Amino acid sequence: MMKHLIAGIQRGLGLHRPGRSLLILPDDVFLVSFPKSGNTWTRFLLANLIFPETPATFANIHRLIPDPFATTKREFLRIPQPRVIKSHECFDPRYPRVIYIVRDPRDVALSQYHYHRKVKRIADDYSMTTFVTRFLAGETCPHGSWGQNVATWLITRREEDSRFLLLRYEDMVADTARELGKIAAFLDIAASPERIAQTVERSSADHMRKLEQAQSEDCLLTKDSRKDLSFVRSAKAGGWRSGLPEAEAARLEDAWGHLMSHLGYEPLSSEKAANFDSRFAASILNGCAR
Amino acid sequence: MMEHGQEAISDVRSAIGNAGGRVIRFLVRGVKQAFGLNPPGRNLIVNRDDVFIVSYPKSGNTWTRFLIANLVYPEKNPDFSNINDLLPDPEAVSKRDLERAVRPRFLKSHQYFDPRFQKVIYIVRDPRDVVLSEYHFDIKRRAIAEDYPLPQFVSRFVRGEVNHPHGTWGENAATWFYTRHGDARFLLVKYEDLQSRAMVEMAKIASFLGLPADRERLALAIGQSSAERMRELEQKQAHLWSSTRETRKDKPFVRSAKAGGWKAELPAASVAEIESAWGGLMREMGYELVHAGMARG
Repeated sequence: MMKHLIAGIQRGLGLHRPGRSLLILPDDVFLVSFPKSGNTWTRFLLANLIFPETPATFANIHRLIPDPFATTKREFLRIPQPRVIKSHECFDPRYPRVIYIVRDPRDVALSQYHYHRKVKRIADDYSMTTFVTRFLAGETCPHGSWGQNVATWLITRREEDSRFLLLRYEDMVADTARELGKIAAFLDIAASPERIAQTVERSSADHMRKLEQAQSEDCLLTKDSRKDLSFVRSAKAGGWRSGLPEAEAARLEDAWGHLMSHLGYEPLSSEKAANFDSRFAASILNGCAR
Repeated sequence: MMEHGQEAISDVRSAIGNAGGRVIRFLVRGVKQAFGLNPPGRNLIVNRDDVFIVSYPKSGNTWTRFLIANLVYPEKNPDFSNINDLLPDPEAVSKRDLERAVRPRFLKSHQYFDPRFQKVIYIVRDPRDVVLSEYHFDIKRRAIAEDYPLPQFVSRFVRGEVNHPHGTWGENAATWFYTRHGDARFLLVKYEDLQSRAMVEMAKIASFLGLPADRERLALAIGQSSAERMRELEQKQAHLWSSTRETRKDKPFVRSAKAGGWKAELPAASVAEIESAWGGLMREMGYELVHAGMARG
């Protein structure tokens, strides 16, 4: 009862987190990805692009690019419109415009494994095979499996759709300025090369590592987690080639090969690539489930 | 008790005037929240053993709800007065009642894909019939006028400008179909199959739910949920059910209850518009297209 009363009072004062009840405005833009796909990095890029006068930090990021599960309702009301809002949700028809970041699931699995060690959800010697089994079943986070999360967006939003911008984490690592230019164009922000360069610099892995060291206690993402492991880890693409056992990579390819090849994530053997059912890419993604 | 409370609150509110109104509204919301009196909607707390009957609106969800309620609880005589207790809708039933429901819960839903739903029966219906049904339902509930042009309604339906928050037909069906098809905890049932071979489909549903599937029990559930019986119940009980309570009484909720009505009622251009939007998915689900070239790929 006490708990309910406190919750009621918090609600009255706008101190609660809106979560799925967030009131969505027609000009909202959502930054969506499956967890561990470069969402925090992109959040920093967006914050530094939109608010050049307030360099993004781990302490203020939830007030610049809010997260309905971490930012309070009262803080939401203070954010200037149009808002860019962070999300890990599967398809939601209420989101007016979406920037979707996708990352090679073999790297995502590896990144999530290390993140779960950092936040003490698994021990250092936790079996990678068991983790991959749970990862495939969508049991490592509440946002579906990687395949489900990605598929629900790709089958409902075409690439030429003006409401949807699909970016690959790997392309962002390879040429951050170019991909950020796409984001700026999508948001209708006239960004000079200088502004783009400053944004990239302020969101670099080195800079974010320094901020993390200084602020890890001020940030919901890293508070209460192990300090001997960092949140900003390798910040590279393709780490799975050395970090993930081949057998585990193969299981991910068996489950999601068709989606992966559509996104340009090549499987281990070219023989396997030829076998993938291209039906998903050809018939489904070619705009029949708008 | 609730009604008394609200009366008292509205007296207080008029006494204080508008300035206090906002505070009172917050308080009412807070109190309702504290007692769990609001329907949770998409904030429903999902249990692992919940079974969801999911469909896009106007796809035979109510009929299926009756079929399943009659299969699971034949002794409760399911009708419009108790269907929300037997097979609750998280958008209409309070959080508190949902928490008190007998486990495993059978829940009705129109949600697009939700990864938390473990066991799902998804009812799909030809979108060319769904749009017609939605059109007549929106007239019944006064969301549109009786003379609202059908072609214009179809265009809005295709664009997702509908009077509910469940996405377009394509978004709703595709997000379930392409994430869960082939999964042992997912059963896809076509409304049209349920019409043409109820016994076969009901046997599938019963076995999916782990219930005995003897002919007698299935036949009883089907008989108790027939369109004629549901029409009779609706005439007596429309005022008892949240979906019909404040709607026009000259238009029935249980309408034609048939498949393929679109062939006579839907203009050719509207059929083409639907097929050009969702042709591929429709064909994948076994709906024959009039315009064969509509499904790309």
